Amino acid sequence: MIDWMAFLTVFVAALVSACIAVTLFSLGLRLGDGTAAWRRPVSVLMFVLCAAAVVFGLYLIVGDHLLTLFGA
Amino acid sequence: MDPLILVALVIALALFFDFTNGFHDTANAMATPIATGALGPKTAVALAAVLNLIGAFLSTEVAKTISGGLIREGDGGVQIGPELILAGLIGAIVWNLVTWLLGLPSSSSHALFGGLIGASVVGAGFGVIDGGVLVSKILIPAVLAPVTAGVVSYLATKIAYAVTRKRERDGFKKGQIFTSSLVSLAHGTNDAQKTMGVITLALIAAGFQTVGSGPELWVIAACAIAIAAGTYSGGWRIIRTMGRGITDVEPAQGFAAEAATTATILASTHLGFALSTTQVASGSVIGTGIGRKGASVRWRTAGRIALGWLITIPAAGLVGAAAALLVQLGPGGIVAAVVLALVAITGIFLWSRRSHVDHRNLHQPEPGVFVRPKKRKARR
Repeated sequence: MIDWMAFLTVFVAALVSACIAVTLFSLGLRLGDGTAAWRRPVSVLMFVLCAAAVVFGLYLIVGDHLLTLFGA
Repeated sequence: MDPLILVALVIALALFFDFTNGFHDTANAMATPIATGALGPKTAVALAAVLNLIGAFLSTEVAKTISGGLIREGDGGVQIGPELILAGLIGAIVWNLVTWLLGLPSSSSHALFGGLIGASVVGAGFGVIDGGVLVSKILIPAVLAPVTAGVVSYLATKIAYAVTRKRERDGFKKGQIFTSSLVSLAHGTNDAQKTMGVITLALIAAGFQTVGSGPELWVIAACAIAIAAGTYSGGWRIIRTMGRGITDVEPAQGFAAEAATTATILASTHLGFALSTTQVASGSVIGTGIGRKGASVRWRTAGRIALGWLITIPAAGLVGAAAALLVQLGPGGIVAAVVLALVAITGIFLWSRRSHVDHRNLHQPEPGVFVRPKKRKARR
């Protein structure tokens, strides 16, 4: 029968990761829209963290395949 | 019939199924970036095609059973010969084209499973279907996928609108390019494998390849090119439904929906609970429609899509069963099944010309339209 624990794990993981990515990107946009000197670097940091999340997603898609292809 | 000719027919149909899979599923990744103007229609499908092509080559694991365990194959179960695979493919292709004609984002995997189930039932009876797998791998996930993605997308949309101000939200378009690219790449790694599995199984069944061996390089290359070509051809009807038919999507919504789709697909793939990409993407669009204040979901369209999901397996199964009845008559029956399938495919394409939809008649917003301040009423 259906593995409800696996489903719950998927649900929580998807919810947390999507919300983190959207929060970071939104904060990047919000903080980039202002004149205070501190806002720009913090905004860039938010985008960098969001990019890291995208790179991690990329690793999840291709990481295993690349490891198999290159025999690591 | 000469096994070589039969296998050649199976390969040709399998590649055509792969092509339909590509254009059927372009919308999963690219409907919202096109709807918000983050990417031009032709650029979006070209990007999706390239990523699907790359993704297909990255996959090295081919499913051991093409039916995902739904049909009791192998030792002690039914041996699906090339004739039944051919019949199953006919069912999957015809149903994929019918749903494309109607602009319904239905699951290509379910169409393939349905076609194979129908053909196998005719070939070996109802006993070949594993009911437990049908419920646990298809029916329950079909309900859970859109609900999960919908909830995730709803919350992500709420966050995006709570954190940003209206004039900042055009920036989400750039983010959409990355999230939709991830969905395309993930699609390529998953979906092209199914066709590789079908072709490899047919080659093994006909004795052209050793049992237990993986797909040949030419099979991988052919499947990668077929799914990429299908993706590039657009599937504009389904893109229109997903991008504009369910709800009007703004850049912040598009980003939230794509982030939800990406997160749900990656989590489901890596945590052992497979969910349909099409159903996840559709659920995300509905979720983002509910999540934005002032937006509305066209429930009539959503209901049509859900109905399409509900009948995909039985409908593809019926066509697959009818084709299986013909192919069991011998070489003449196989030729008749293929000819009838070609007639059906041609008929659907000709019918689609009556209301032609392509990238030129997809509505795309003007740049900045989502962040432009509303005009105030003139004071008297």
